[in-house]
Amino acid sequence: MRLGVKVDLIKRYNEAEINGKKGTRKAFTLDVSFEMENELVVLFGPSGSGKTTLFKCISGITEPDNGKIIVGNKVYYDKDRKINLPIQKRNLGYVFQNYTLFPHMNVRKNIEYGLKDWEKEEREERIMEVLSLLHIEELETRFPSQLSGGQKQRVALARALAPKPGILLLDEPLSALDMKIRIRLAEKIKNLQNRIEIPLLFITHNLEEALLLADRVLILHGGKAQQFGTPEEIFCHPENIHVAELTGISNIFDDAYVEKYEEESKSAVLKSGDMRIKIKSQNLKSGDKISWGIHPENITLLRDDSDSEGRDENIYPAHVNSIINKGPKKRISLKLVKHNKSLTAELPAQFVDSLKLHAGGSCMVRLEMSNIVAFHGF
Amino acid sequence: MMDKIWFPLTLTLWVAAISSILVLCSGVAIGYVFARHDFRGKRLVELLVTLPLVLPPTVIGYLLVILVGRHGLLGQMIFDVIGKGIMFTWQAAVIAAYTVSLPLMVYTAKAAIEAVDREIEYSAYILGKSELETALQITFPLAKKGILAGLILSFARATGEFGATLMLAGNIPGKTNTMSISIYSAFQAGNNELAEALVLILVFMSLLTIALTGRFVEKLEV
Repeated sequence: MRLGVKVDLIKRYNEAEINGKKGTRKAFTLDVSFEMENELVVLFGPSGSGKTTLFKCISGITEPDNGKIIVGNKVYYDKDRKINLPIQKRNLGYVFQNYTLFPHMNVRKNIEYGLKDWEKEEREERIMEVLSLLHIEELETRFPSQLSGGQKQRVALARALAPKPGILLLDEPLSALDMKIRIRLAEKIKNLQNRIEIPLLFITHNLEEALLLADRVLILHGGKAQQFGTPEEIFCHPENIHVAELTGISNIFDDAYVEKYEEESKSAVLKSGDMRIKIKSQNLKSGDKISWGIHPENITLLRDDSDSEGRDENIYPAHVNSIINKGPKKRISLKLVKHNKSLTAELPAQFVDSLKLHAGGSCMVRLEMSNIVAFHGF
Repeated sequence: MMDKIWFPLTLTLWVAAISSILVLCSGVAIGYVFARHDFRGKRLVELLVTLPLVLPPTVIGYLLVILVGRHGLLGQMIFDVIGKGIMFTWQAAVIAAYTVSLPLMVYTAKAAIEAVDREIEYSAYILGKSELETALQITFPLAKKGILAGLILSFARATGEFGATLMLAGNIPGKTNTMSISIYSAFQAGNNELAEALVLILVFMSLLTIALTGRFVEKLEV
């Protein structure tokens, strides 16, 4: 039998419950179902989308209202069979956002804490093993207050891994760290996952982190799984507006329908308002109502005088509303002159300068058909 | 004279010490339950524990007499077990001191325990520890400053306890005359010399407690 993780659960919070705890929030239902192998799955979604609630249900801190949670050969929870394994017996690793190291114990004691039932020799061996796995041998006798953020994170990982858990849950483990360490540790976690060979769930609301780490990404929004796929699939073929927005597509238009679909070339012509646009896409039919969008980075700008309108596909004259500096990039707010549509482009500053663009000026916008994403909207 | 100081002093310290030990064990446990668990009637229990804080000591004393007096609910049980009543004994003084100082411990401990990150406790559960193990090994050590503060407050309150003690344990020289009761009766009898000596000792003890705990708490800083 192939071991993996199977989650299919519903957890409802009614308004009163939530209001009792913190402020005013609407009633909320987490309704998620997915299966995974020994891979790294990133849970990605805005705050309040249910990511942490999902972790609480898996770990047993919160009891779901219905469903099943199975990890390897252990049934954590099964409503029908009335199984709700106590949190102590689930044998999982959980790294909380703020690491939750025991401040009154040194690093060694922290790691040892989950190994109290082990034989002395095996325990010693295991402690050395995880210390070296995370390269923290030299921190053994330090107390949490004497560690940097990155070190704490590695100690928390070591402590979680020490009892050989069946699954590892990481709740935004990098969010408290600065950018430089973040990327380095993200790579380390990726690397670690290849070696420990257990399913690993990782929460983040940082897109870059998600794309960098994930074997697959599970997108959560409003308590529902929106899409589950490889970073490539998520990024290039978002299935709905929530996924599109979460992956950074800020130019989204929901007023289109498929005017013509060519099966052979897998391309379609959309009519969006009074604008015609050609896209590459699959599984469309003429007459489908559809939304389309494009990443701000994927918009191409041409000089106004390049005389290319109509000659090539998806080229439109535009008016430059404003240009905002954004580090090495510039953010350009555009208006398509003939179609009353606004777009935002984000391009390298150098390139924008070479076009001699300025607010109030004009240019040509080209929307490369392979860069346009289309999804069934609402 | 020495005897008239020495006995109340040792009796007071003895009663306060026993009461504080009882308060520590039960108060921390109650504080933990209040901080971490919800149950039916919790508000009522919280109210009952808080009551001694606001009731006049004589009222508490009266209620305790009803409870542990010879014909009281508990009093009868105690009589059946040990064959004598405990009214007007040092044990009665302990009961009085315990009752009035318990809420101080419960509420400081509760606040300190609430301040411990819930996720730290969850981390211990996830590492296989039971709730009791986690409370003893993680929660209480992390709440130790608050618990210690509660203990000091309770000890100080027990040392100065007067009203309820007088009602329950009386003022029997050589048996139940604690410091504050001795001060009162010395003053009543016009023995100002003795009253002043006892007052000075109590003030000195209080100052010493504050000074010592200040240093102790500093040492607890990790």
